[in-house]
Amino acid sequence: MTRTLPPFALLVEEHGTQLLRHARRLAGSEAEDLLQEALLKALRSYPRLRNGDHLRAWLFRVLTTTAFDRCRKVTPLPLATVPERANDPELYDDAFGSLLEGLTDTSRAALELRFVQDLSYNQLAERLGISPEAARQRVSSAIRTLRGRIS
Amino acid sequence: MTLSQELLEQLAEDASQEGLNDAFFTEFLSPVGNLIVVQSRSGICRVAFDDERKEDVLAQVARVIGPRILWSSELTRAVAEDLEAYFTGQVQDLAVPVDLALVASEFRRRVLQDLRNIGPGTVATYGILAEAVGAPRAARAVGTACARNPIPIVLPCHRVVPSAGGVGAYIGGCAKKRWLLEFEGAL
Repeated sequence: MTRTLPPFALLVEEHGTQLLRHARRLAGSEAEDLLQEALLKALRSYPRLRNGDHLRAWLFRVLTTTAFDRCRKVTPLPLATVPERANDPELYDDAFGSLLEGLTDTSRAALELRFVQDLSYNQLAERLGISPEAARQRVSSAIRTLRGRIS
Repeated sequence: MTLSQELLEQLAEDASQEGLNDAFFTEFLSPVGNLIVVQSRSGICRVAFDDERKEDVLAQVARVIGPRILWSSELTRAVAEDLEAYFTGQVQDLAVPVDLALVASEFRRRVLQDLRNIGPGTVATYGILAEAVGAPRAARAVGTACARNPIPIVLPCHRVVPSAGGVGAYIGGCAKKRWLLEFEGAL
C-alpha cells in the first residue's frame, strides 16, 4: 500500500531547524539561501517520491547534494595560488567538492556525513535510514572509488 | 514555525513561479478564534477552527489535492484581507472563489454552493435548503452536508438553523455559530 505523502510544510516544520543547522555546516553564512534552494529542489521531485519513508534522510540528502552542486559551479583557482590560501575554508570546500565530483549522490552524502559532519556509523545509519553495516559499506565503497581515482 | 518567515515566503514565491504549489495555507486570527485557511490553485478549499489540529487539516488537503502545501502569508493575502473586511464589518459577504475538491459527493457540493444564496443577516432552515436544492425530503442529508462543510464562514453553513428553533449544531461549536449570527444581525 502506498502511503500518502505528508504536507510539505509539515516536513519543513518538523525538520527545519536541523536542516538549517546542517546548512550552516555546509555553507556558513549562506545557509538560509542554500536551504531555500534545496527545499525548492526537494519540492520539484516531492510528488514523484514513491512512498513517505525516510523523508528526513531524503531532505538531508537533497540539501547535501545542493551544497555540492554549488561548490562544483565555483571555478577552481589556478593551482599556483593554492599553497598560500590552503587555510581558506572556502577553498577547502571547493577542493573537497571537486574531489567528490562524479561520485554518486549516495557516496557523496555518505562521505560528507562521515568526514565533514563527523557522524559515527550508527548516527549515519540513522540519518540515512539504513543499517550501520550498510552505512559502513557505503563509506568504504566511496573511499575505494576515490582511491581508485587518485592513484 | 521553525525557519524564518523570509525563507518560507521566498520558497512559496519561487514554488508559485514554477507552479509547484498544490496549496498555500495561512493562519488568521479572528473573533471566533484562530483559523487555518488553505487555498488551492482554484480557490479556498479549507477553513478550520482551532478545535482541529493543523496536521490533520493539512493532511486531508494533501490526500485529496496534493502534498505540495506551503505556508505563505503573502500569497494568501487576498483572502486574509477579505476575512479582515468581513470581521470588521466593511463587507457583509465573502465573495472569494472556493474549491470544493474536498467534497466528494455531488449532492453535498450542490448544497454547499447553495449556501451562498442565504444572505448575511438572514437564516434558512435545513428543510428550506433541501427544497432549494430540489430534494425537499432530504433535510437530514442537508444537515450532514453542512456539518461536513470544509469551508465554514466562507460558505455560510452557520446561516442554516433547525426548524424546531435554536441555532443548532456547528462545526466549530454552537457558541461560534451564535456569535456569527449575532454579528451578522440575524439574531
